[in-house]
Parts: sequence; structure tokens; C-alpha cells
Amino acid sequence: MELLKVENLSFTYPGAGKKALEGVSFTLERGSFNLLCGRSGCGKSTLLRLLKRELAPYGERSGEIRYKGAPLEALEPRVSAGEIGFVTQNPEEQIVTDKVWHELAFGLENLGLPQADIRRRVGEMASYFGIQDWYHRDTDGLSGGQKQLLNLAAVMVLQPRLLLLDEPTGQLDPIAAADFMATLQKLNRELGLTILLAEHRLEEVFPIAHRVIAMEEGAILSDAPPRETAAALRGQPLAQGLPSACRIWSGLGAAEPCPMTVGEGREFLEAGYGSRRGARVCPPAAAPGEPVLEAEHIWFRYAREAPDVLRDLSLSLRRGEIFSVLGGNGTGKTTTLGVLSGLDRPYRGQVLLEGKKLRDWRGTSLYRGKLALLPQNPKTLFLRPTLREDLEEQLRAMEIPREAWPRKVAELADRLGLEDFLARHPYDLSGGEQQKCALGRLLLTEPQVLLLDEPTKGLDADFKNRFAGLLGDLRDRGKAILLVTHDVEFAAQVSDRCGLFFDGQLISQGPPQEFFSANNFYTTAASRISRTLFPNAVLCREVVALCQGETL
Amino acid sequence: MNAFSKVHPGVASVYFLGILLFSMFVMNPVLELLTLLGGLLFCSSLPGDKKGLGGYFGMILIMALVNPLFSHNGVTPLFFMNGNAVTLEALAYGAAMGVMLGGVLLWCRSFSLLMTSEKLVYLVGRGCPKLAVVLSSALRYVPMLKRQARRVERAQRAAGLFGPDNRADRLRASLRVWAVLVSWSLENGVETARSMAARGYGLRGRTNYGNVSFTLRDGVLLGVVAALSGGVLAGLLAGELAFSWYPALVWREPGPLGAGSYVCFGALALLPVCLEWEERIRWNYSRSKI
Amino acid sequence: MKKDLLLGLVVLLILAAFLLTTDFQTVDQFYLTHMEDITPDSDTVTVAIVCGEAVKNPGRLDETLLERLPEDGVILPETTYVLRPGDTVLDLLIRTARYNRIPLEYQGAGANVLGTAYVQGIGYLYEFSCGTGSGWVYSVNGVFPGCGCSEYALSPGDRVVWQYTCDFGRDVGALQEGGGS
Repeated sequence: MELLKVENLSFTYPGAGKKALEGVSFTLERGSFNLLCGRSGCGKSTLLRLLKRELAPYGERSGEIRYKGAPLEALEPRVSAGEIGFVTQNPEEQIVTDKVWHELAFGLENLGLPQADIRRRVGEMASYFGIQDWYHRDTDGLSGGQKQLLNLAAVMVLQPRLLLLDEPTGQLDPIAAADFMATLQKLNRELGLTILLAEHRLEEVFPIAHRVIAMEEGAILSDAPPRETAAALRGQPLAQGLPSACRIWSGLGAAEPCPMTVGEGREFLEAGYGSRRGARVCPPAAAPGEPVLEAEHIWFRYAREAPDVLRDLSLSLRRGEIFSVLGGNGTGKTTTLGVLSGLDRPYRGQVLLEGKKLRDWRGTSLYRGKLALLPQNPKTLFLRPTLREDLEEQLRAMEIPREAWPRKVAELADRLGLEDFLARHPYDLSGGEQQKCALGRLLLTEPQVLLLDEPTKGLDADFKNRFAGLLGDLRDRGKAILLVTHDVEFAAQVSDRCGLFFDGQLISQGPPQEFFSANNFYTTAASRISRTLFPNAVLCREVVALCQGETL
Repeated sequence: MNAFSKVHPGVASVYFLGILLFSMFVMNPVLELLTLLGGLLFCSSLPGDKKGLGGYFGMILIMALVNPLFSHNGVTPLFFMNGNAVTLEALAYGAAMGVMLGGVLLWCRSFSLLMTSEKLVYLVGRGCPKLAVVLSSALRYVPMLKRQARRVERAQRAAGLFGPDNRADRLRASLRVWAVLVSWSLENGVETARSMAARGYGLRGRTNYGNVSFTLRDGVLLGVVAALSGGVLAGLLAGELAFSWYPALVWREPGPLGAGSYVCFGALALLPVCLEWEERIRWNYSRSKI
Repeated sequence: MKKDLLLGLVVLLILAAFLLTTDFQTVDQFYLTHMEDITPDSDTVTVAIVCGEAVKNPGRLDETLLERLPEDGVILPETTYVLRPGDTVLDLLIRTARYNRIPLEYQGAGANVLGTAYVQGIGYLYEFSCGTGSGWVYSVNGVFPGCGCSEYALSPGDRVVWQYTCDFGRDVGALQEGGGS
């Protein structure tokens, strides 16, 4: 039985020459879990918004959307608001009220339900989502994962039949994201809720979806169950985002049905490539540069009565290396960057840059030409209405003569591929584009040391690869790069060294192959798939290469 | 948790308003002292900083000393200062003003501690559900904006902009940060508005949900407050509570009605403390039964 | 610590300055006033202070105040005093009130916006005590002068009457000026 039917839907934004959607047709069965994937800007968000009448963008539309057999436009406002739920990427901006309980009640108030009904539904939902412990709290004090769960619950109290989600875990850490996905699956299984989920992070969700709709350039590329989708996407750029097992399978060009999960992947390798057991990756012996940034026995806390966030932390960062610090939420990774960048001062221990204490760097000499910090939210770096003006602001701060500005801007834009963004408002760019522009602005200060806070948050696989290339390029120019991240795959891909952060200090570190193969849980999916055969392979391409008998 | 914080916010507001009106518009020393006493007991039973309470007595003293400098009326001159009489009446009236002000401030402080934002939003929402949403989102917005301001400031500092070494730069920095916060808010506001529309905001017949309900206990309490206020009002209208400050301190010997009025007001002022004690006794009693 | 000491010192200094510039008198000291004896060749004027209009409207007065007012409304019956050279109506009133132990409160010429002295209350009876249009006014020889009492210089034989009006002066025969200017 179909719930939603889209027929030959096309859409053009006003003033845009190209169609954002072209000839999109699909149906959603009742109670199905559907995954919508595609690169940033492929039209996923536009499609989702068109399906939710209240959020439909302005523009030229043709084709038909039918909900329960009736055109979407003909739905009663109350039905449309209540039965089709929508959750977006940013947990913060969707919250309307100041208290958790009020947020839950908000939609029901709008529908005009009496007090007693609201009380029952809110209570029920809070229990179902495990919200009762923070039911009375301020929404502002919640963690990102809690906020997103609240957004979901606040939509679920309206008892929707269809739930649309636009990259809901993009801003969450892996644990919170897994929680969120588990809740979604539970809603689908237990309540028969129909779900259409747009997502970049496919490792866990791809195998559990009933159907995957892959989009490219505003059109549907494939619409099939996950296994068939993986086969259909083989060789396409979109395949970069698929789960590791699929990527290994795809890289090997095997004829067997595509493995989806870690278990299936392992079986697939054991069956087909058992003969290559014991092959090892030989990581290139990097010539270690001299240390530029050193932290010695750092202790830090935010307030006198607060607990220590950093406890006896020591680390050193060398010229020409990328060092990734991994760790769960709230372990102090971001705090570490605050201390290393000199924004926060430790109460014991010291940080040395080129052998000189941070506090001895006078005025802004530290941040102009030596050290730069890319914050978690790149938006905080943009001050002006266009990117060009922002870059010029930076050049002014660097006291570079005005005549040299156009040349400098052009050079940078050429190097990072920012030409198309120069005249645009930074807020109008996608998350990945913002990240690149923010990095660009920092590079104008010509830093020797770059500190990056969660640089891959919300980026799709394609953007991540390009970002990794950019970082590698900077490393080769002798910069020292330290990044803190949740993203295990990305860290394995770009790093020369990785470290695990726990309880205020680094508890283990080493080259990625060594570091990840020693971890059982905190490691890449490729490593978990292949570890019975290849003890130190951590990337899909390494596994593929070892299977094919190449030496690395 | 204070017993009074469980009272329905509407009842609590009526109660507070009554106390404040009586103590501000009836300059009767007994009423003022009862207000101060009630306020003091109430305030110290609430969680929060108790350090400032001593300051109220200082204020009373200052008011008592300052009033005779401006008011020279009164039949009992104590001495003359630059040809102006310093009278007992002016001193007494100043002290009474101090007590009144101290009492009112204490009650207001208790009120602000008890009337949390959610109760306020609920009360506003009873009258106008849309205004409640505006108020609630404003309350949510302030901390968010503060946090974003700090983030922007730190990000810019670490990017080498706006060094702390000169004033002009810092001024420029704060202007830029404010400007960018405005566009950030607008951007954010669009997303929030979408989220509101997606959940049916703007449909007709919006209701208002509060985590509070009007219980029988609240009804009884409202009745008690009304009855006690009525008692005070009866005495007041009959002139039994009249007290003359100028030119002479004349205390009107209260008749049965007046005495009743005083008792009513005393009970009114000590109501929160009584509720607190009632709850404690109930608790101890329920424990002793186990 | 240092700052606290400094602050204490400043407060002490201000207090000392206040005490030194203030003239303290006991009640008896204050009322001990010399009045010249009347001799046949001395210049004299007469003063009377009455509040008949206020007593006529007992309902508008505070009960305690009413008890303190003379029943016939005469606070000071017409009395003859020696006129000192240069005496204004105010000077005479101050002297008379002190001599008769009648409480008097007035604003000096520099203390208000009128630019002239203004009598607020005599014998516990204050402006506005008997409605919004009430206050003290004076007449000399039956005429209500249009100027302030600290500006009117008296001549020998003048008869000054201070009257309390309850209706902007209309009830006591003054044209319209309210208050005791």
C-alpha cells in the first residue's frame, strides 16, 4: 500500500537557469524505511522540502505529489502539519522554546489540543524517548545529541504517518548519531512509521534501509533495495560514500552479491581471499621534522570549582605532519585546542611554540604567521557580506598593502578553488564550501601550525576526500597540522599519527596502521572487516590492494 | 524545594499583589512590620544567596535618618538643625518607610525566585498563547546569542584579527561581531520559523499548555487568601487601620474589627512560612508512621 | 584593603564636614528669642495667624491635625510687635513664630523654583493639608500683595494677617494666587 507517490516532479528555483529537480518519480510504501543519498547539492533537500507543504521553497514546479492518493496541496492544514513530520540537520535552530517540556508540547498547542490530551501525549513521548530525566531542563543546556532527539520527539508527538529527515546526524558525534539512528529504526519497526531519510553517513544506515534512492544532479540515479543499489553505483563517484564492505567489494570487482555489514564483509574476504592471509601494509617511513608545538604537563579547568578538563596532558606536534586526536564527546578535545592556541591558559604546565612559551608571544604576533585555529563552526569566522571582503579584512589585519590584495585573493582562490564563492555571502554556501572558505581565510595568515576542530562535520564523502587532499598538500609544504575529530575513517585516511584522548589526556598514540589495528572498537570499519586476514590494514584501498596482491 | 513553589502561579501572583498593595498603600506600622517579618522568613526559606539580607536593615536605618532632613513636621521636636526641627515623628515615619521598602523588596525578591520563566510564560499564555511563544523563544534566544558572540570573538582572535593591543581595533572588533550576530540571528530565525511552520504554528485555535494545573489545594488557598484579604480590607475601610504620623503619632486603639484585621494580615504575611511548616510536619508524620 | 581604608577616610571627612557646618540647638535654645519691649516711640506692626477656613472644613482635615488646631481657628490673635528696620513679612513671621513657639516650615528664596521664600506650614498645618487648593497666604492692611513674603518690606503700622486658604485664596478674599507667596 503506498503512502506517498511522486510523479515526474521537476522544480526550478526563481532566477536559476538549471532545474534543481528533473523528472523525479518514486513511491513510498507504508511502513517502509527509505534512504535518500547523493552528494551535497544534488537536490535532496529541495526534494524533501517539496514533500512538506509548509516548507516548500518558492519556484517553478511541475509534476504531482500525492499523499494517501490525494494531491498534497489539497490536504487539510491540520493533517498536513501533523501527519508529515520534518527534522533538519541543525539541532540548535529547530528548537523554538526554552524548556524541554514546552518544546514537546509546542506542536500540540498549535493544533489546539486541550490540556489533558497534551499532557498525556507529551508524557507518553517523553517516556518512549527516555527524556524524563531532562524533561524540566532548559533546552539551551542540552548536548547536540539530546537536542536532535528532542527535535525528533517534538515531531513525533504529532503522531505523523510520514517522517522526512534531512541529514539529521550531520552535526552529531558517532555515538549520538548511532543512538539517533537506533531510535529511528525502532520507530519504523514498532510504530510502522514511514521514513524518508537523507544522509551522508551510510556505514550503519545503508544495510538497514528497505530501499535506497540515489540522486545525482536533480535526477534519480537508482531506486532499489540496498544491495542492488550498491551494484548499480559501482564505479560511480557516489560509491565513495557507501559502507566499507561495499567499497571493498566494489574495488575488487567481485561477482558475488555485495556484502553490506562488517560481518558479511569479513565472510566475503575469508571466502575469496583467504590465501592472502597475513599480508601487511608497510607504511612509508616518514622523516620526522623537528617539533614546533609542544604541550608539557598541562592542567586546565574552566572555573576554580569546576573539575579538571585536562589532566597532565603532554603532546608534541612536528613540522610536516598531520596529527589526529580522536575521542568521545566531552573528553576535552576542543578544550585542548583552546589551550594549544593560547585562547585559554592552563593553570599548570606550559605550551611552547618554536621553543618559546605561548604567553611570551606579544600581541597578535602569535596569530599572524605562526598559528591558526579553525573553529568547529566555520560560520563564526565570517564577518562580511561576501567572501572577498572577508579575505580582504584578513589581509588588512595582516597589514598587507592594499595594492597586493587582489593578487593575494586571486592566488588563494586559485589554489583552493574558491573562485565561484568570492562574490557570495558565506552563509549561503554549503557546509563543505564554508569549511573550505574558512580554511582559505586562515591560510592568508600563513600559519606554521594549523589547529582544526572537527573539520569533517556534516561533509559528504566527496568533500572529505577533497579536504583530505588539501590537508596533505599543506603538510607537504611543511606545515604542522593537528586535528581533533570523531571521524575515524577520515583520521585513518589523512593522518601521519593518531592519538586517543580520554579522561583529560592522550592515552595512546602512533601511526594510523599501528594505532587502529591495536584498537578493537575505536577503529575503521575496513580494519574490523579485514583484521582476521590483514593485521594492519585500516583503509578500504589498503584492503583492496592487499587482496590483489600488491605491496604497499 | 519550597512548599510555596508548588502553588499555581495565578494564585501566587494574586497573593503577591495583595501583599504588596496592602503594604505600599496602608502606612500602618504593624502592617509594615508584619510584611517585613513575613518577607524575611519567606526569603530565607528559599534557596539562594542569603548574604544580602543584612543590607535591608542598613537601608531602614538610613531611611530613618534621612527623612528628618527633609521633613520637619511633628509635635515632638528633638533638637534643631540649622534652624529646622528634627522631630520624633519624622524619624518614625522615615523608619516606617524604610521598613515598607525593605519588606516590598524582600517580597519582590521572593517573587522573582519563585516565578520561574516557565510559570511566567504559562501565565502570559493563558491570556495570549502567541505571546507566550514569543516570550519563550526570546528566553531561549538570549543564552544562544551570548554563546555565539563568544564563539565569534574567539574565532576572530585566533585568526589574528583584532589584536588586544589597541583600543581602536577592539572597538572595531565589537562592532563587527555585533553586525555579524545580527545576520546570524536572521539566518537562525528563518530556520526556527520553518521548524515552527512545520509543526503547524499559525493554525487557528492555538492552546496553551503548562506544566501546572489548578488543583483543589490551589482553590482552597485562593479562598483563604481572598478571605484574609477581605478581613484586612474590612478593617481598612472601617478606618480601624488608620495610623497618624503627622503632626503627632496617634495609634488608633483597634476594636474587635481592627484586631481581626491585624490578625488576618499577619496570617496573610506568614502564609508561605505556614505552608512550609505544614509540609514539613506532614513529611515527618508520614515518616513516623512507616 | 588600602582602598577600603581610603573610602572610610573619605566618609569620615564628609561626616565631619557635615557636623562642623551644621548648627545644632536644643529645643529650648531654639525658642529662646529676644523680643524688643514696646516703648511709646518704637515703630510697631501687628501680626495675626488664622486658619478659620480649615477649621470650617473639618471633614477634609486629618483627625490628629484637627485636634492640634485651635477651635476658633486663631493660631495667633492680632498682636503688636516692634518693627526692626528692613524687616520683611517673612522676617517678622519667623520671629513671631519662634517667640510664640509655633512650629514653622518654609523654603528659603534659593530653595525653590519661585525664586522667593515660600511658607509651607505653620503650626502643623501644611500646604495641601486641606485639599489641593490649600496653603498659606498673607495680607497687609487687608490687601493681598502679589509678591513673595521675603520681598515685602514692612512699614510702621502695617497689619499683617496670615490666612490659610482651602480654595486657591478665593475663600479668604485673595484674587487667585495660591500658596503663601
